Amino acid sequence: MGRVVYDGTPIEFADGDSLAVAAIRDGQHPARGGTLCLAGDCGNCVAVVDNVPWVRTCQTPARGGTVVRRHPEVGHPSPGGAEHHAHVSVRHRRAEHVVIGNGDSGARAAAEARSAGHDVLVLDSHDGNDVVGIFDGPTIVVRTPDGIDQFHAHHITLATGAAEVHPVCPGNMLAGLYTPKAAAKLQAAGVELGRVVTVGRDVVALHGESRVIAVEVADGTRTECDSVIIDLGSAPRDLLARMAPMVPVTVVGPAAAAHALPAAPKEGVVCPCGKITVEDLDGVWQKGFQELELVKRSSLTGVGTCQGGVCMPHLRAFVADRSGTEPEPFTARPAARQITMGEAAAGYHIDTFRRTPLDAEHAALGATLDRFGGWFRPWNYGDPVAEYWAVREAVSLGDVSTLGKMIVSGPDVVEMLERLYPNNVHDIKVGRARYVINLNERGHILDDGMILRDDENRFTLTFTSGGASVAEMWVRDWVETWGLRVHVLDRTVSHGAINVTGPLASELLRRAGVADDERPKFLQHRRLEVAGVPCHVMRLSFTGEASFELHHQIDRSVELWQALMHLGAPLGVKPHGLQALFGLRCEKGHIIVGQDTELDSTPRRVNMDWAVKLDKPAFIGRDALLRTASMPDPRRLFGFTMDGPAPLEGSVIRVNDEVVGHVTSSWNSPLFGHAVLMGWQKRLPHADVVEIDGRDAHVSAIPFYDAEGARARG
Amino acid sequence: MRAAKSSAQQLVGWRIIASPKALDAVKWPKGSRVVRISPDDVFLIGAVEPKVPDDAHAIVTPEHGFSGVELSAAQVASIAEQHIEWQLPADWPSMAQGQIAGVPAKLLFAADGSALLLVACAASHELLGRLGLAS
Repeated sequence: MGRVVYDGTPIEFADGDSLAVAAIRDGQHPARGGTLCLAGDCGNCVAVVDNVPWVRTCQTPARGGTVVRRHPEVGHPSPGGAEHHAHVSVRHRRAEHVVIGNGDSGARAAAEARSAGHDVLVLDSHDGNDVVGIFDGPTIVVRTPDGIDQFHAHHITLATGAAEVHPVCPGNMLAGLYTPKAAAKLQAAGVELGRVVTVGRDVVALHGESRVIAVEVADGTRTECDSVIIDLGSAPRDLLARMAPMVPVTVVGPAAAAHALPAAPKEGVVCPCGKITVEDLDGVWQKGFQELELVKRSSLTGVGTCQGGVCMPHLRAFVADRSGTEPEPFTARPAARQITMGEAAAGYHIDTFRRTPLDAEHAALGATLDRFGGWFRPWNYGDPVAEYWAVREAVSLGDVSTLGKMIVSGPDVVEMLERLYPNNVHDIKVGRARYVINLNERGHILDDGMILRDDENRFTLTFTSGGASVAEMWVRDWVETWGLRVHVLDRTVSHGAINVTGPLASELLRRAGVADDERPKFLQHRRLEVAGVPCHVMRLSFTGEASFELHHQIDRSVELWQALMHLGAPLGVKPHGLQALFGLRCEKGHIIVGQDTELDSTPRRVNMDWAVKLDKPAFIGRDALLRTASMPDPRRLFGFTMDGPAPLEGSVIRVNDEVVGHVTSSWNSPLFGHAVLMGWQKRLPHADVVEIDGRDAHVSAIPFYDAEGARARG
Repeated sequence: MRAAKSSAQQLVGWRIIASPKALDAVKWPKGSRVVRISPDDVFLIGAVEPKVPDDAHAIVTPEHGFSGVELSAAQVASIAEQHIEWQLPADWPSMAQGQIAGVPAKLLFAADGSALLLVACAASHELLGRLGLAS
C-alpha cells in the first residue's frame, strides 16, 4: 500500500498496482476517458508522470510519492522538465538472435531458435526491456531502467501477441469501458467495477456524460451499468514489424495471425490519440483522399501515441467499406512508446567540427570561432574592418588549413585530370598553377580550386573547405571507373595552410627568409623554407591582393604562424577572419561555391565560360554543356552596387515588383563606401536596375575591385 | 566502466600510396608500426622513410596528421559498448576502422587486445571529449 498524487489529490494504491489501476481503484479514469486495455497498446491512459508527459500509466508501477497529472483537455502537455531530457547513456550490444516478446509464442520461438544452435536473447517489456524501435542494421532500440540499449542482431523474431480491439461507436470516449483482459486484470487486483455489462460486436452506443451509465446493442436493448466490458476480439500487435519493412523480421504467433476486420465504423472516435471521428474520415474521403495512406496523412489518424494500435483495424475497415478493397496496414514510425528527448538522443552524435592546428592561436588572439564548412574557423578577431584594411593596405594572415588538398600521381594522371576538369591540364607547366572548377555530369558546378603541377606525373589539387569532404571520393571514384593508373592521397587534415596576403606580403616573406628570386610569381608554386619551416608556397589570390599560401605539415603550423606574426609586426600584420575574407573576395567577384552557386549552376550562369574548354575531347559535364550551350538561359549571376547598408544575403531581388532572384553575397565595402553584392536574375530581360530591400541596386561589372588583377600579380 | 583519461600524442610517420602489390612487397623499417588503411594506402608509424621499389609513382610523404591514444583491452571494451555500433575484430593483432562516437577513427589492435586509437588530429579534441578521454 502507498499513496500517489493524482491531479493534486493523494490516492491510495495496492501492492502491484500500476498507476492506471490505482486511479481506477480510486474511481477515476487514469486519463479523461476511453476504453482501457491496460496492456500498453492504446493511448487512453497516458498522463504526465513525475513531469514526463505521454507516459502510459498502465505500464508504470505505482510507487509512493509519484506525481501524476492528466494531460490538458485541449492541446498538448508541455514537454516536461529538462531533468528528464538530459543525457541518457547508450549501450551497444550484439546478439545473434533476438526474440521480442516472452509469451507463449515467444518462448516457443526462442526454444526453436536455441535448438537450431542460435544464441538467443529474449526481450520483454515485463522484464524492463521496452522495445521502442527497430531500425535498419538491424538495430533494436530498447529502453531499460539503466538507459537505452541498442542491440545489433542477426535475426529478429517478433512474438508480441495480439492487441484487443477497441470499440468505435457513440460514447466510446467515456470512462468505465474495458477490454476483457483489462477487466480481468482489474478483477484480479480486487478493483470494484460496480454493475458490469459485457457486450460484443453488437454494441451500437455507450451512454453517459463522462462515465458510462448505459450500453445499447443492435437489437435496441439498453442496459444500465457502471462498467462495460467490450469484447471485439484481437488484432495482431505488429507495430514493430510495420516499423521496419526493410528489416528481415520473422513474426510468429498471434502477431502474425490473420484476423477479420471489425464492421466499418459508422459514428464515434476512431483515433483516440487525435480524437478523430468517423465524420472526420468521411470529410477527407470526400475531398479525394481515398487510400489508406492518404486518409492517414490527411486526417492524422494513426500518427498519435499508439501509432495505429487502436485505430488501425477500424481505419482499414473504413477504407475497405468505402473502396471495396481491404487495404494493407500502414507503416509505423518509431518510437513505439513515448520516450524522452534524452532517450531519443542516446547514442546520437552530431557531425564533427574539426579544429585546425592554429585553433589555440586564434583563441589567444581573441577570435570568435564559428562552425563553417565542417571546421571551427575564426569569424573575426574583434574588428573585421581593421582586418580588411590590413589586407588591402599592409599584410595579413589567414588560416586556410581547412582547404581541401590532394596529391595525385601516376602514369595516367594527366589523362585523368583532363577528363576530370573542364579546362586544359596537359599544358600546365611544372611549377605552375591554374584555377579550376569541377563539374558534375550535368555540367553543374560542384566545387572549385587550384591545380598545381609538381612534376610530369604528379599534381597537387586544392578544393574548397566545404567540398573537401567529398573530393577524395569524387576523384577516387572516377579513377576507378576509368581504370587509370593514378594514386590519390588526401592531405586535407595533414597539411596546414597559412595565407599571407596584402601589398606587403612579399616583404613579409623576405623577412621570413624567402629571397626575391625564389618567391613564386602569380600562379606559380615552389617548395621553400619560410621562417625555417618547409612549405609548399602557392602564389594565388582570393582576396584580390598578392597572396602566398604556405602549405606545410601540421606539426609546424604554430611555429610558422607565430614567426610570421612576429616578423610581420613592424609591417602592421594582423590576422583576418572569414568575415573580412568574404568581403574582400566579394569585392573581387570571386564566387563561393554553394553560396553564390546553386545546385544547377552551370559555368555560363556564373559568367565562367572562360574556365571551360569545350574543344577538349572529353571531360565530366561536357556533353551536358554542349547540349545546353545554344539554348537560351535566363539565369545569370550579376554584380550590383547600392547605397546605404548592404542588404542581408538571401534578400529578394525584384524587377517591376516581380521576384527575379536573390542576393548571394553582400558587403559594405569600406573601400568604395557603398554596398557591393552578387545575386541572381532569373528572368529575361535582365534589368540594369533592380530593387532590393525597397532600394535601387545597379548592375555593375564583376570584379568590383582591380579588374585588371594588377594587385594580385604585383 | 568509464575509460581512464589518456592523452593523445601526435604521431610521426609516413603515408604511402602505392599499388597493393607494391605495398605487399615492401620491407617495412624495423620498429615501425604498419597501419594498412586500404589495399593501396599505408600509414607507417615510425621515423624511417620507407622505400617502395616496385612502384615508381608511389606517393611517399611524411604524415603528421594523426593522433594516437594507447588503450588497454578493458578500455577498448568499455568504449566499444558505449560508442561503437560496428563489430570489432575478434582476431588480434588486426586493424579496424569506422565511426567511434560519431568520429571517423581506427583501432590498431595488438596481440593482447590492447589497441592504439588513431584519429585525425583535427578531430581528436572532439573524439577524446566524447569518449571522456580528454585530459
